[in-house]
Amino acid sequence: MPAETVERLLSVAPSPAFWIAVGAYAAATAALFMVLAGRQKVRPAAIALVAMALIAHGIDISWRGTLHVHPAQSVREAIGFLSFIITGGYLLASLRYRLTIGGVVIMPIALIMLVVARLSPEGTTPEDLSTLGKIHISLATIGVGVFALASALSAIYLVEERALKNKKLDSLVFRDKGTPLEALDRMSHQLTWVGFPLFTVALILGAVWVAKLGESLDRPEYPLAAVTWFAFAGLLVARQVYGWRGRRAARLTLAGFAAAVLVLAIYLIRRIVE
Amino acid sequence: MSELFVVGISWRTAPVAVREKLAFREEEIVGTLRALVAGEPVVEALLVSTCNRVEVYGVAKPGTDATGGVRRFLAEQRGLKPAEVADVIYDHRGSSAIRHIFSVASALDSLVLGEAQILGQLKDAYGVAGGAGTSGPVLGRCLERAFGVAKRVRSETSISRGAANVSTVAVDLAKRVFNDLSGKRVLVIGAGKMSRLAARHLYTSGAQEIVVTNRSPEKAQRLADEIDAVARPWEELEQLLVGADIVISSTGAREPILTKQLFKKVAKQRKWREMFVIDIAVPRDAEPAIGEVDGVFLYDIDDLEKVVHANLAERAKAGEQAGRIVDHEAGQFEHWLRTQSVVPTIKALREHFNTIAGAELQKAVELLARKEHTPAQQREVAQRLVQLVVNKLLHAPTTALRVSAPNEAALRAAVLCELFGITPREDAERESAQSMPEGSVTESAPVKQSKAAQ
Repeated sequence: MPAETVERLLSVAPSPAFWIAVGAYAAATAALFMVLAGRQKVRPAAIALVAMALIAHGIDISWRGTLHVHPAQSVREAIGFLSFIITGGYLLASLRYRLTIGGVVIMPIALIMLVVARLSPEGTTPEDLSTLGKIHISLATIGVGVFALASALSAIYLVEERALKNKKLDSLVFRDKGTPLEALDRMSHQLTWVGFPLFTVALILGAVWVAKLGESLDRPEYPLAAVTWFAFAGLLVARQVYGWRGRRAARLTLAGFAAAVLVLAIYLIRRIVE
Repeated sequence: MSELFVVGISWRTAPVAVREKLAFREEEIVGTLRALVAGEPVVEALLVSTCNRVEVYGVAKPGTDATGGVRRFLAEQRGLKPAEVADVIYDHRGSSAIRHIFSVASALDSLVLGEAQILGQLKDAYGVAGGAGTSGPVLGRCLERAFGVAKRVRSETSISRGAANVSTVAVDLAKRVFNDLSGKRVLVIGAGKMSRLAARHLYTSGAQEIVVTNRSPEKAQRLADEIDAVARPWEELEQLLVGADIVISSTGAREPILTKQLFKKVAKQRKWREMFVIDIAVPRDAEPAIGEVDGVFLYDIDDLEKVVHANLAERAKAGEQAGRIVDHEAGQFEHWLRTQSVVPTIKALREHFNTIAGAELQKAVELLARKEHTPAQQREVAQRLVQLVVNKLLHAPTTALRVSAPNEAALRAAVLCELFGITPREDAERESAQSMPEGSVTESAPVKQSKAAQ
């Protein structure tokens, strides 16, 4: 690792909790892989490691808060916060269901997001970030975090559904029993209902904020954010009005989330470039 | 030493036609056990009688072989000549019996490997033997250990994992689709035996609402009455499919009755909600293409049997690991049992030592009570007491050692050395030779010394 990167990393994340979180995320990933490989006895330890990672991550965010670094102060901070929300949601869901396959995917992503959040340059974080801006970023982050969880469940749904349709019962997704399709679909639906109002308010506040700043509306992230909103709005209409369930709903959830990821990516790249 | 034994028949050695002849009804078992203990050289006994086995687990009187008598007893109890069932009855004794009991409890000897039902049956049989007063410490300990081994085998191996029959597989698969079967509607199409089994299994797994339809309304009603379901006319099939979450089809139709075209319509009306279709008919009732319809999961009899075979193969693999656990545990139990055989000897030895020590102590107390003694005299009495006790305790073994035949003497001496943890001094033999003319060591010599001291 280049000395400059290390210096940057250390300069922005000297909290011991950050290192504990990184270690716990990595250990949780390894433990979940072991569960998936058939070592069921490791499962409680894996869940405990996820909880440990979440607590350490939370302490790191709080510690930064004491240094006046708001979790929604910049895209970089928001990515770290998003990773925290996703981990928390996964932990809650895995207390009820066996979502090992989801954990194997989510935990390394959460780890990468945390490290990226701390490694990426601070960019032109406005020192005069208004309360409106902070609320907008906070709500958008939480909304996207909830959508991310809904999408993870939808992705697991699609993998399980494919395996069941093709009668591949020895598939990796069933190694740790798996979660019933109906439960995955229902949880994804419930999460969409939670995330959508948050994202809607975030979008409105964002538009007001941009209008107040007098910025141009021709940036690509704005229509993409609208696409995300329309995808999830369409999904809710399809579910509520047309009764869509299962594969169709799962695909639409993933499409909506893909748009949200694009918005985030554009923001991140812009900050890095700037 | 009390020897554990097993005498019986099982699915391995006898067909059901023979097993049913030797089977015992529940209410007969207590009387049978009491008669067995009263009439044969058996001190403890338990009888387990299930559809797959009739076995007596017992403990023979020390030094006897009870298996021959129990073989005869079992045959005669059922009005058979012993020779008639001689070929199908097996017996195990000692370590082989322990291993057999542990294997049975762990479901390693079950018709379906890992089928845990036998454990409950064994526990019941143990309870009945307890009630009859024929189970004792050895059998009790053996059974308790066997239950522990069974628990260990279940938790440490995958011997009981994976459904081992078609109807259980169907329920397992339904649980992968649906979170909770309790609110699900089951549609049974046709009135075959397999439908009945699968529907009953779904019912016991929580599915409360079962609807039966059949071309023959009488047959549908009969099955519905049998499984606590509702019969509906065949003409309503499409509407019934729209309302069903799980469909079990087992008609005698020559052509598929569940077509892709029909299911496309049904799935659309259901808004593509998940639907699990089990086709156990041969020829098949469902076109394979209905599995392509969104939300529809189709499994036919071959698919279910493939799962059963895969699960059984997994269980067989786990059986090897379970066998090692059983061997290890049986070895440990056998060791415990062997130590139990010396317990009476240990008890007698302690009593013997305590009697001698007690008697000498009493004499010393009486001596001290007769008059006042100076501390030096008291010390002398105590020394004498110890010397007397030691001499009396050693008198019998040393005499036996001295008078033993030359070929036994070395062995006895070695045993004594090992038991007392002593090593003979090299010059002891020479000293012994010098003292030979004065006769053997008895308790009298120290007494004389003691008197002289007084």
